[in-house]
Amino acid sequence: MTIRRRLIPYWLLAPGALWLLLFFVIPMGFMAQQALESGALLTGGFTFTWEWSNFPDSLSGNSEQIVRSFYYAGAATILALLISYPLAYAIAQQSGRWRLLLLFAVIAPFFTTYLIRTIAWKTILADQSPVIDVLQYVHLLPDDGRVLATSGAVIAGLTYNFLPFMILPIYASIERLDMRLIEAARDLYASSTQAFLRVTLPMTAPGIVAGVLLTFIPAFGDYVNATILGGTHQNMIGNKIQSLFLVERDYPEAAALSFLMMALILAVVVVYIRLAGTEAFMGEEGERA
Amino acid sequence: MTTSQRLRILVAAALMLATAVLVAACGGDSGNGGGEVQVAQGGKPSGEVTISNWPGYIDPGKDGTAAEFEKTSGVDTTYIEDVTGNTQFFGKLQPQLERGDSGGRSLFVVTNWLAKQMYDLGYLQQIDHADLKTVFQNINPQFVDDETDPGRKFSIPWQGGLTGIWVNTSEAPEIRSLKDLFDPKYKGRVTVLDEMRDTVPLIMQMQGADPTNFTTEDWEKAIDFLKQEADSGQIRRFTDNSYTEDLTSGNAIASIGWSGDASLIGRDDVEWRKPTDGCDTFFDQMVIPVGAPNTAAALAFMNFVYRPEVQADISAYVNYVTPVDGVKEVLAKKDPELANDPLIFPPPSFTRGCSEDPNPPGSEQQQQDITEQFQDVVTG
Repeated sequence: MTIRRRLIPYWLLAPGALWLLLFFVIPMGFMAQQALESGALLTGGFTFTWEWSNFPDSLSGNSEQIVRSFYYAGAATILALLISYPLAYAIAQQSGRWRLLLLFAVIAPFFTTYLIRTIAWKTILADQSPVIDVLQYVHLLPDDGRVLATSGAVIAGLTYNFLPFMILPIYASIERLDMRLIEAARDLYASSTQAFLRVTLPMTAPGIVAGVLLTFIPAFGDYVNATILGGTHQNMIGNKIQSLFLVERDYPEAAALSFLMMALILAVVVVYIRLAGTEAFMGEEGERA
Repeated sequence: MTTSQRLRILVAAALMLATAVLVAACGGDSGNGGGEVQVAQGGKPSGEVTISNWPGYIDPGKDGTAAEFEKTSGVDTTYIEDVTGNTQFFGKLQPQLERGDSGGRSLFVVTNWLAKQMYDLGYLQQIDHADLKTVFQNINPQFVDDETDPGRKFSIPWQGGLTGIWVNTSEAPEIRSLKDLFDPKYKGRVTVLDEMRDTVPLIMQMQGADPTNFTTEDWEKAIDFLKQEADSGQIRRFTDNSYTEDLTSGNAIASIGWSGDASLIGRDDVEWRKPTDGCDTFFDQMVIPVGAPNTAAALAFMNFVYRPEVQADISAYVNYVTPVDGVKEVLAKKDPELANDPLIFPPPSFTRGCSEDPNPPGSEQQQQDITEQFQDVVTG
């Protein structure tokens, strides 16, 4: 192989690497710098002083929001998975034209922006809306109960907003599923439950793993749903970071907290991938390597 | 994964880390804007201008005040309503202002305490009174000086008002005081503002503190009270200007809010009341930020809204306290009821004893501590 040919893969990597450098690595550098500053905006600004104490300081008093973020994002991910898997399965079973139409139906609401959709939920779930009247009538909600400004509303908002990120990867893996394998399982006297658990589920695991990651990670850092649909005790860690940046103007602590959350998520993802098995994550590629 | 793959990943990670550290090392200190203070350039207005204001603070429609300014001045005007809270707006803009960039805005409106903070940080331009003849011809003498800007070096009053309570009169007609808001029968149907300088002074007055001299202990006691009421679920939400939506949809039956927001709420059965146990006043100011393009047009806009007939339209639309003389006479001809509205023309007795969006007492550090305590409750 000539040197030129050996360099080709690196050239192909260049646009992506440049993107990552410009929009991830360099901003992270600025953030890292900010996280080690001390001072205050109104008293002479911030100076770089290797202020490592920002990291432990940023955690103090915020454990409740961190735990809550895990709970909300986790609940939303599980709900999204429970909704998505049967749905993706059903879509994959359809013939060509229906399949396209149903897939389009999944994506169609997302032509409207995230914010507008979330605000729309605020109208739908308003205390005096017909939806709430019905829920109260059938005694799913007490007469003075409400949905808006509760944990339920925030979890529902997160589930709804990140649903396509769950459906699409799962659909992609179910669609590739070779139906003959299931037939073979049945021929070998597997019950339909057994066939599902031992053939379908393992074969579609990469889609589930990808979907879970794509849903959980953004849901954990989200603050829009809690702002719009939540009340006084539904703030997530994203709301806290926003408050530190925009209201308290404590940029160093805000940057430090952002870093810690990134590290936390990274740790969770690494553990999750280990547990789920790289094989499931990387599919057949992983096996070969 | 093979060894060479692992090695490559390690090298890539090391390269990324090195770049990040390099950037961190090269980045300068983010100090103050500083430098000498700019004076806004006057002259004949032309070109384009972008004005940033709070929602519902002008009639932005086709026949509204912003459109009228465009017609009479010939300046292509973009009027945006992106100031929904002082602190959030400042937080969003601060990094830009630090670099001397106003984000394309030639003029924006913030409350006087924030205007002063911004001026002290070097984020605002000075204004030359020679460019503001109409303003100083018509300004109500009581607004010529402001505690936060003696001599009007950088701010011109826009509108002022009172912070009090909005009450849904068909559901809770009996709410008249701040104490009433915390009656357990309204649990979960009451909202308060996330603006510390509005909400906390009202609570302090409810608790019997002296509005001319709030102490640090008063602030802390009031914040503790708010925490209790948030924990118990009495307070539904801490809101910015969006409390109006909760009143419109009926989610809230009473909210701490600003006296002139009737047009945003749009319900006849929701009325503003001055609480019997406390009141707070504020005055929002037009300011010209550093790096503002087309300051001539911004100054022209200030002059324009200080014409009594233009101001009368604004008053009729927003129902806030006007800083312009001669408006009462114009309104008396059009709508006598408005001309006698104490919310637009408050007699001195109406606002006597009110707090005025105060800063917490003490050093910057003590103020920051109070802010953090309050935010801990808001983001609880």
